[in-house]
This record gives sequence, C-alpha cells and structure tokens, in this order.
Amino acid sequence: MSRPVDFEPASDPNRFVGEPTDPVDERIEVGVLVVGAGPAGLACAIRFGQLLEDHPEVAEQLGDVPLAVVEKGKQAGSHLLSGAVIRPGALERLFDGHGGLDGMPTYGPVGKEQVYVLTRDRALPIPTPPPMRNHGNIVVSLSQVGRWLAERAEAEGAMFLPETSAVTLLVDAGGVVGVRTGDKGRGQHGEELSNFEPGSDLVARVTVLAEGTQGHLTNVALDHFALRGDAAPQVWELGVKEVWKVPRPLDRVIHTLGWPLRPQARYREFGGSFVYPMGDDLVAIGMVVGLDYRDPRLNPHDLLQVLKTHPTIRAILEGGERIEWGAKTIPGGGFHALPRRLHAPGLLLCGDGVGMVNVPTLKGVHYAVESGRLAAETAFAAVSGAAQDAPVPAGALASYDDAVRAGFIGKELYEVRDLRQVFGRGFFLGGALGVLNTITKGRVSIGSVRTEPDDEQPLLPVDGAAPQVVHDGVLTFDRLSSVFASGNKTRDDQPNHLLVRTRVAPDVAELWANLCPAHVYTAGPVGDDGLAEVEVAPSNCIQCGAISTKGGRLTPPEGGSGPEYWQT
Amino acid sequence: MSLLVFLEHHEQALTPGSLGVLTRAAALDPDVAAVLVGGDDLVALAREAGRHGAATVFHATDVSASPLPGPRIDVLADLVRRIRSFDTILLSNSVLAGDIAAGLAARLDAGLNWDLVDLELRDGEPVGTQPMLQDSVVAEVGWRSSPRVALFRPGSFDAVPSATEREPAIESLTVEPTPHTLAARAISRTLHTDEGPSLDAADVIVAGGIGLGSAEGFDLAEQLAGMLGAAVAATRAAVYKGWYPASAQVGQTGKTVSPKLYVALGISGAVQHKVGMQNSKTIVAINKDPHAPIFEFSDLAVIGDVHTVVPELVELLRKHTG
Repeated sequence: MSRPVDFEPASDPNRFVGEPTDPVDERIEVGVLVVGAGPAGLACAIRFGQLLEDHPEVAEQLGDVPLAVVEKGKQAGSHLLSGAVIRPGALERLFDGHGGLDGMPTYGPVGKEQVYVLTRDRALPIPTPPPMRNHGNIVVSLSQVGRWLAERAEAEGAMFLPETSAVTLLVDAGGVVGVRTGDKGRGQHGEELSNFEPGSDLVARVTVLAEGTQGHLTNVALDHFALRGDAAPQVWELGVKEVWKVPRPLDRVIHTLGWPLRPQARYREFGGSFVYPMGDDLVAIGMVVGLDYRDPRLNPHDLLQVLKTHPTIRAILEGGERIEWGAKTIPGGGFHALPRRLHAPGLLLCGDGVGMVNVPTLKGVHYAVESGRLAAETAFAAVSGAAQDAPVPAGALASYDDAVRAGFIGKELYEVRDLRQVFGRGFFLGGALGVLNTITKGRVSIGSVRTEPDDEQPLLPVDGAAPQVVHDGVLTFDRLSSVFASGNKTRDDQPNHLLVRTRVAPDVAELWANLCPAHVYTAGPVGDDGLAEVEVAPSNCIQCGAISTKGGRLTPPEGGSGPEYWQT
Repeated sequence: MSLLVFLEHHEQALTPGSLGVLTRAAALDPDVAAVLVGGDDLVALAREAGRHGAATVFHATDVSASPLPGPRIDVLADLVRRIRSFDTILLSNSVLAGDIAAGLAARLDAGLNWDLVDLELRDGEPVGTQPMLQDSVVAEVGWRSSPRVALFRPGSFDAVPSATEREPAIESLTVEPTPHTLAARAISRTLHTDEGPSLDAADVIVAGGIGLGSAEGFDLAEQLAGMLGAAVAATRAAVYKGWYPASAQVGQTGKTVSPKLYVALGISGAVQHKVGMQNSKTIVAINKDPHAPIFEFSDLAVIGDVHTVVPELVELLRKHTG
C-alpha cells in the first residue's frame, strides 16, 4: 500500500539552475535558443527563421548566431515517437507562402476507421465517437517528420546542435539567459575520461523550451518560476509502440478499448490501443495506459505484447516482422493541468512539455507546431524591439500566453476540459464516452477534476504472482529485445542519469521493475529494514519519462544517448 | 584487378587480421602484393606473408621510425601513384589501420568501405559484404571510384598458410615522408600487456554473465580459461556490477568477437550480447534456465548450474591434459 511519492530521491531544487560559469568570452551567444528538435521546437525555429529572412536588420542585431536548436538525440527525430495521426492545419499554416508541405514524409490521409471494444477473443465494433473521427487527418511517422522539419529549419538558417543535452537552466537577474549543455566523456562515477569534453554556456536573449513530454528543464523552470500556479497536477499516460513490416496492407485506422486492460475499478487501468497503416507494407501498433494505475505488477511493455496475441490484431501482423520499438509518456491532464503561465523573463514554454495534448481526440502534434509558431512570433517581437534588456522582461513575452489561450489550442482544450477526469481518466475512454461535453462545446461542465498526481496513487496489495507472458521472438518480444529494436546503444560507462532511491518499499521496487518498458530497474532482495534493493541499468533507458511520474526522476544523459528512432 | 594488402605488425609478428585479409586477397588475385612498413629486420615477416599468398612484398623502410599512421599513408599513396597502379587496397581494421584507411582514401580521393566481413569478385568488380544496423542485415557494397579502399572487421578471415610454399619477391622502397607527416611525432610509446590472449585475437573465449553470481564467480571463468588457453569476456550486466573490467565487455556496446570457440557461462543471451559474439564458430552455453535465449543460437547447450558444471569441466580437462 506504499505510495511512490514517499520514495522520491532527495534533490536540491537548485541543482539544475545556475548562473553562467564560463568566462564571458567563452560563452556561446545566440539570439533565440530552442531546446528540443521536435515539432514544437522546429516549428519555432522555422517561423523565427522566416521572420529573420524578412527582417535582415533584426538578424544583424542578433549577432553571428541569431537562432540555434539543441537536441539531445543523435539527430532530429531520434527521440520522436507518436501514433501518429495528425491534423495538418498547423503545419500548413507554418509553411503557408514558404513552400507548403511539399516533400513532407506522410502516409496519406486517413481513409476508413474503426473502433473496437476487445474481449479476450472477440472484437466488437462500435461507432466512432465524434472526437476520435479522423476525417482530413494524415498518418505520419513523427520521427520522419522531425527529420524533415530539421532540414527546413536549417534551410531557414538555424544552427543545429545534435547530441547536446541541455542540463542546467541559466538564470541571471531573475530571468533565463540560456542553458548549460551537458558534459561528455565522464565515467560511471563522474570521473573525467580521456575523451572528456565539458559542457558550454549557451546564452540567449530568449530561450524556448520545447523538450516534449517530461522535459527536464521545462520541469525545472515550472518549479523555479512557480509557473503552475493553481493548475491541477499534470497526469500521465504511457504509450508503447512498435512498427511492423506486414505482408498485407491494412485498410483502416483502428482504435481499441478494453482487453487486455482489466475493467475492475480498483485497478484503474484506463487506456487503449491504436493500429495505423503506414503505406502498403508498414503498420504502427501501440498500447497506451494511464499511469494512475495501481497494480505494481502491471507491465505496460507486456500489455502491448499480449494485445498482439488477440485474434483481430494477430491477423494484421501475421507473417510480418517487427522492425522498430519505442515508448514515451503522454501528458493527459489537459486544460486543467496547463500551467497558469507559459513564460518567464527570457523564457517561453511550448508543446508537450507543458501538456498541450487533446486527450479525447488523441492529438497533440498540431498544438506543438502551433505553440512553436506562436513562440517564434512573440520572441521575434521581443528581440526586435528597441530595448536590449537581458533577460528579456516577462512583459515582452506575455503576449505568447494570450495567443495560446485565445487561439485554437486554448479554445479546444477548454472545450474538452472535463472529459478525461469524469469518464474514468482514460486516453481512449474519454473519447469514447465523453460525447456530451463535446457536443455542447464545453458549456456543460461536469466539474470533477483528477486531482491526485500519479505518484500519490497508493499501490494495491499484490494478490498472487503476475501472469507470465510468453515471448516467442516472432510476435511477442522480451524487453531487452525491444530496447535493441529502439536502436539504443547508450555508452554503459557514463554516470547514472536516473535519480531514484535504491532502497524502497518492496511494492514500489516491483512497480518500477514492471513499469519501465526498457527494463532499467530490477527488484532485488528485501533487507532487514523491510526495504528492497533496486538495481538500475541506466544504459537501457529510452527516456520515456515514466519513472518521473512514479517517484523517480529522469534527467538527460550524455548527449547522443538513448534510442535512435527512425520511423516511429 | 590488382590487390594490395597492408600488413600490420607489432613485436615482430604480423597481426592475425592482416594475415586473414591477405589469405582472402590471395584467393581472389594470385598476384596479390603486400606492404610492410618498418625497420630492416622484417625479412621473416615478408616470408610469412609469402606463405599466406603474397606474390610480392613491398618493404618500405620507415625513415622516421614513426609508429603513426602518416608515414604508412605516404608509403601506400606513393606505391599506388608511382610504382604500380593497384586498384584496391585492403586493410584489417585496428586503431592504426582505421586511421590509415581514412587518410589514404582522402589522399587518393578513393572510396572507402569499412567494417566489411567479406569481399568477392563479380564480373571482375569487387563487391564487399557489410553488416549494418547492428548486424541485423547484410548489405553488399561496391565502389564507384578507382582506386578503392576496403577496411575489414578483424576476425573476418582465417589466416591459412598455402600448401605451396612460395618465396615472395621482396622489393625495397624508400618513400620520403610528406612535410605534414613529419609535423606529427610520437612522444612516447608504452606497451599495455594483458594476462592471457587478447579478446580480439583469442581462438577461445570464456565469457561470464550474471549467472556467475558475483565477482568471485569469475574465478570459475578464469580457471576454465586457463585450462583452454582462452581469454575471459563478460556481459554488460556483469561489467556494470563491477565483477569484471569494462575492457572485457562483449556485445553491442562492448567488443565484437569471433573466436573459434565461445563458452558462455551463466549468460542469458540477450540480443545486445548476441550481436557481439554471434559470429563465433562454435558456441557452447552453460545455463540453468532451459528457456534462456542463448540456447537458440548455441551449438551445444548445457542445462545446469555453472557452479557445478564448470568445476567438473575443469577437473575433466585437468585429467585429460594432466
């Protein structure tokens, strides 16, 4: 009956905040610094580049590097994973008058779609709930789109710095003045190896954090500047996904509810699955589960493995081959959990990092793109003003919040604000059952809000051993094989980037051991103090962020570590 | 097609990788030439190269006596440009050979294919075999340039002396180092010695995993390795626990090995380990879990506890060799 929150690691709140330390002439000065090469960060870079192109005098004033993007993955797209069926409108608007979406990698518009409720043996088709309808949307690999966006951003003049993690938020005179990048070449105990390279201070007039889900510096900034205000705590879901090469094309987009999740209320297992066609010979399949679940034996990685054995799903994959695997958390708190402020002096926050996800429609990429675009316009206006204050005062950035809330991001999130909280807190159930709130355009508020953070959910007493899942190596796989299929080949002898306690209550140890889709944690023997040893294998980590929702904390490892997603 | 093989040597011995590449090259081109760079006392090595199929051995006296890549690039570039128009230069990868291959390719504006595990001729054109995506697929690669540079993964070929002893023609060369070669100099050189054979060169490897249970458990691996003249390797998990040094790690993030015999003690056989040792000729696995994935790709499966099986095995070997 332990709560993961009671086993959080001791942590200095200022550990990841500091003033610049490099001598002034060694700092790398940029105009606008974007952290994270995902849809939000790259949209921001592209829009900012477009504006600079139209206003060369501003570019001039911003120095040698007016615009830079840092990315912790090996390349753009390495850490991008999504369904993904996306709404193309925000991207169309971004490139309107700038070449459009020609050349963007997609798998075309959604054709037929079907929602099923699964039992162990059967699939019952139900009418597609209105929020889940995908007419006009397109299927993409977000990883591929990310690489394409990065090319466009570089063409717009952005300096792109891959394999670079942003570890410390540089704060001076009460505002953000950039980030410090992570050291490279440290050994397991922090010692400097022969290839040691210290990080650098990247100082900027405006820093845009677009780190995606569980963004490291985003969370640091939300705490440091107390930006959440009275927002509800953010809550999370975990998605585990595979890409399959299949012998027969899939002719429709599929969502499922029900099995293998258990219906009993006490388990709080809310979620569902998706199966998307990617052209004639590829299929994306994923399983999403809310991280407020309470059974420490639940294994999200294996839920997907079990799902694939359902007759309806197996028939799609039969004769095919798994070619990729990955996992990521999804912020599911919607409007109520949106931080009250999305800016601070010198700082703007975008995309998934601040929870811009529309849960009932299963969409967030278009919000990421739009928020990046709006951040670019705000940043541009701020740096092209006459005043050269550093950091840029909050007043010059406040228009970003107004634009987000008045635009479609704020409006849509408001309309669907109560769906998830009322109808069982499910990424999928919300969409399936919460029709009433939607058809009234949010005028009927149902009121109740999920108020408990995921890590405050008490764990259920374990009743019996977890069901054994067979991994046949053809249809179903063990976790280490999956980690391999993510492309992860992180250097083993680097410092542990996961802040977790290694002696915890046995049920918390078991929770972590099963929760982590990359098998980073192993529960060891219980000592005389009643606590279990937790063994950590950090180089397995694919940076999904799940541990941060359940009593631990993911920080960025050495740049270039982690998965190398290709078509997720 | 005319092939030239770079022969790497240390402590008066040619590396097994170089001799393996030479063996393969001789099968493709009976007139294959090899090049040795070093002092005056390399006649024995030249003969050894002859036994492995070299028709001609160029012996370049390295005037700067430097162990660095620069003079070797100078010699190879000069050979190709001035002396004989070899169209393909082959090297077995190492810290030194990797630098030479890269520098030579740049110098000659030649295409470089690296990490090859085989080379064959198709319609007179060389086609290399290159494992990709962590060895999950194998690609065939060619060159559009001439000359071509080919860098092979160590252990790709066995070094096989030919049945017909032949005396190679030995041609001495003197190559003036280029000014930028002379601009770099070696300051000191130390020899790092490991107990027993190195993992790269070992014919037999005894590897230990989590199943050994502790750092002391690796004593078992070392005893067995002692009896077999083997090198000792470890899995990532065992290294991470501090049971064995990181330099012995085999797998995706460690070394890739291909010995004649690989004995896996208490190793489950996760794919991350498999990709580092799957090219071993014979794999023997000892594990108490009959469902361990390693049994799917081992030639001999021993289902049992390493702590009982290995001491018995050591005892048997002792009696046999005793």
